[in-house]
Amino acid sequence: MTETLPREPQAEQAPGGSWLPDIPGPWETAVMAWRWLRRMSTALVLLFALATAAVLATFVPQEPVIARTVDSWRTGVAGPGQGWARLFDALSLFDVFGSWWFMALVALLLISLTGCLVPRYAAFWKAARCQPPAGRNLDRLTHHEVMRAGIDAEAALAAAERVLRRYRRRRTEAADGTRQLAVERGHWREAGSLLFHTAFYVLLVGVVIVHAFGWTGQVNVVEGDAFTDTTLGYQAQSPGRFWDAAKHRGFTAHLDDFDVSYYRQQPFVPSAFVSRVTIEDQGREVIREAPVRVNHPLIYRGMKIYQARFGFAPELVMRTTDGVELFRAPVLLTQSGPFWLGREKVAPGNPAKGMPQIGVDLALLPDASIVDGQIRVNSPEARNPRLAVSLYAGDLGLTQPAPLPSLDWAERDLVGQAMLRPGGSAEMVNGNLIVEFASLPMWSGFQVSHRPGLGILLLAGILILAGLVPSLYSYRRRMWVEARQRGDGCEVVLAGVALQRKPAFAEEFQRIRDQIAAALHTPRGD
Amino acid sequence: MVDPQLAQYSNTLFNVAFLAYIVAMVCYFFRLAFTRVSAEGVAASTTAGTRIGWLATGLAVSGWGVHLASVVTRGLAAGGRVPWGNMYEYASTMALLVVAVGLVVVQRRLSYGHLMGFVLAAAVLMMTSALMLFAEAGPLVPALQSYWIKIHTSAAMVASAIFIVGFAMTALYLVKDTAERRVAASSAYSGSTVGAGAIDAEPRPQGYEAEADLMEVEITSPLAQRQALSPVLFPVVPGLVVALFTLLVWRAPAAAVIAGSVAALLGTVSWYAVPYLPPAAKLDNLAYRTIAFAFPIWTFAIMAGAIWAEEAWGRYWGWDPKETGSFFTWVLYAAYLHARSTHGWRGRRAAWIGVTAFVALMVTFYAVNLFVVGLHSYAGIS
Repeated sequence: MTETLPREPQAEQAPGGSWLPDIPGPWETAVMAWRWLRRMSTALVLLFALATAAVLATFVPQEPVIARTVDSWRTGVAGPGQGWARLFDALSLFDVFGSWWFMALVALLLISLTGCLVPRYAAFWKAARCQPPAGRNLDRLTHHEVMRAGIDAEAALAAAERVLRRYRRRRTEAADGTRQLAVERGHWREAGSLLFHTAFYVLLVGVVIVHAFGWTGQVNVVEGDAFTDTTLGYQAQSPGRFWDAAKHRGFTAHLDDFDVSYYRQQPFVPSAFVSRVTIEDQGREVIREAPVRVNHPLIYRGMKIYQARFGFAPELVMRTTDGVELFRAPVLLTQSGPFWLGREKVAPGNPAKGMPQIGVDLALLPDASIVDGQIRVNSPEARNPRLAVSLYAGDLGLTQPAPLPSLDWAERDLVGQAMLRPGGSAEMVNGNLIVEFASLPMWSGFQVSHRPGLGILLLAGILILAGLVPSLYSYRRRMWVEARQRGDGCEVVLAGVALQRKPAFAEEFQRIRDQIAAALHTPRGD
Repeated sequence: MVDPQLAQYSNTLFNVAFLAYIVAMVCYFFRLAFTRVSAEGVAASTTAGTRIGWLATGLAVSGWGVHLASVVTRGLAAGGRVPWGNMYEYASTMALLVVAVGLVVVQRRLSYGHLMGFVLAAAVLMMTSALMLFAEAGPLVPALQSYWIKIHTSAAMVASAIFIVGFAMTALYLVKDTAERRVAASSAYSGSTVGAGAIDAEPRPQGYEAEADLMEVEITSPLAQRQALSPVLFPVVPGLVVALFTLLVWRAPAAAVIAGSVAALLGTVSWYAVPYLPPAAKLDNLAYRTIAFAFPIWTFAIMAGAIWAEEAWGRYWGWDPKETGSFFTWVLYAAYLHARSTHGWRGRRAAWIGVTAFVALMVTFYAVNLFVVGLHSYAGIS
């Protein structure tokens, strides 16, 4: 599409008027933009832009995927520096796939695709209903063969028609009485291509439905504890725009038990971990001790429960020497090398009024031994656990909206330290406080999600493949068989041409020729 | 459970196969030098060429058998699982598939046996990277314990192996086409074979026409084509590219020098071999057919990966670096296929897109797993 647009009739130039070039009006601009979008070169450029965006998103950390790394780039702890991070932020490079320019790119691609597909649908609709056209000047075609047969022309054409029965066929008769059989095949190439491209609209619809009507939540549960499927039942959630909170099923899932086993030869690689979950719905136990493990989610009423994370959750008790219990809760620890670390606030306090904030910092050694004064962790399994408790009091910044592990707790606020074994306790703060390591349950982290529309995505995938394969392998070709009466027998001309995959057609032409020759009982290559 | 003895056997077999491939590659290159190819793609070898060709084929086939045994024993050693649980195994199995595609498709089906040296070179480079990524045989982490590893990962490997062969053809096409153009420009005797109706052209608006006959390109003056190309750039450019890539990914100067020298040697061989390569149009067509074959498989691999991700992590697509990498690789190969049927993009421009797509494939496999480590849970093990 390279023809230039018809120009507006030149406006009367005022004497000594402007020498500025003509500015196309809004309609011309729209038409030009539309033509530009419809060009294949434009589509190619847009595909490159899409690929470039994806390359950038691979090497610049993405906030929705790994927010913590993005933070460290912004603060200059990691990455190329804060100046670059500001530039990346300005260009939305920390969230490429959520940025306005990525959306615009996808939208342009879809418009370009639509502009390309609509005329092709129309052309295909016409071409698919068209009968194969009569061939002229058959002897000029590259694939061209003349055979002689001892039967009359009509019988020869009938025999050829039997060989070519899988083609779309049409019989014609020229003015000079020559009878011709025109056949055509391979509309699947264009049909497949159209199907492949159309499937991307289906894909888009599926993606939109999943994201708009879906819901995903995260929840960590300690053994023996439970969570309820309500809006408040999760620690984090990302609802779709049209997710209706009333759609929560309201069931309660109990974590009966969590098990992790490790490979014997590579002791810190887990071989399997499994949660056993009992689901109670409206007072009835509907699922009992169902295993939930990686790659095997539990599905209940359209809510999928995935095994995601796990860890130790030592139960910590703190009481005064008078026996007043100040704190009793399991503290969720996360793995850091061979250790399991975690923090918990014990008392919120009020530093302004002189009431200290109290927090506890824990480190668990699942299988500890002391060799030459060095603490060693022999295995990840809780065979001989030790809990290192550090008690902090002072202005710990607990009111800040930051995660506990990121807070900087000062050495001067450290008021007591103890190393405990399960069931053991220690006195701290001059004997005023007793800290007890009551028990060592595990915690299990679940991702729960409700995702309608996945079926549409699967359908889109199937359509993409179903269209792609014929669009690459099918090819359009036409053949003609012409028979002229020559005395008792006849002369048969076979000719053919392919629009694509010419080497493949050369082979097919040979095969068809041999089959027709056999059907006509003529020696080959006459 | 892990069997260290069996794992040791697997490593020994790997080394034997590696050596066999290297010797076979050299033999194939010798065979190439004894081969003449006409415009129709009919190869003719001298007696010595035929003999050395048989030797090369024998070595490649037996090396492949040994390699297969290495991959199988590796799987058995790691407790009877699939032998593609980490990057070493993945690279090794991919090299196995590259050689298989080369032997079955390029040599046997298409009778382009004289190009096998380049295919084996790709496999040898792949196996070198496998050696650098070596990890002891071990069992699978829970995230990989799924039957989808058989479907998704094997599809990705098969597609990658075919893409690698496709890249070898694309690179050779670019070399040959440059030589043909330059010779044509200097002698005005015969032009490039591309555009002469030999390529798998898309429909022309005029409708059905008689095909133009293949333009005869005679291999009359081998030296002319070779002289048209720079004997300096050919070793230097691939040497530098591969050395820099190795340096960036592994940060190992010694490895970068070795890999760079191998690439430089390959560049020199392809410079020397220019006159004996099939016509550019044939190579272009071969590259297209290879890539068009692998593309649906790659598409399927991405889809299977999405289904697996939905099952394992509860989201079919999360723009994780590996997912993003496979996506831009897919987009670039899609762009190649589109460019191949777009007027003004056919030929060299399309081929350069193919080269870019291949670089994207390599980045997705190596750089994403090694560079961007820590961003996703399966870095270094998948």
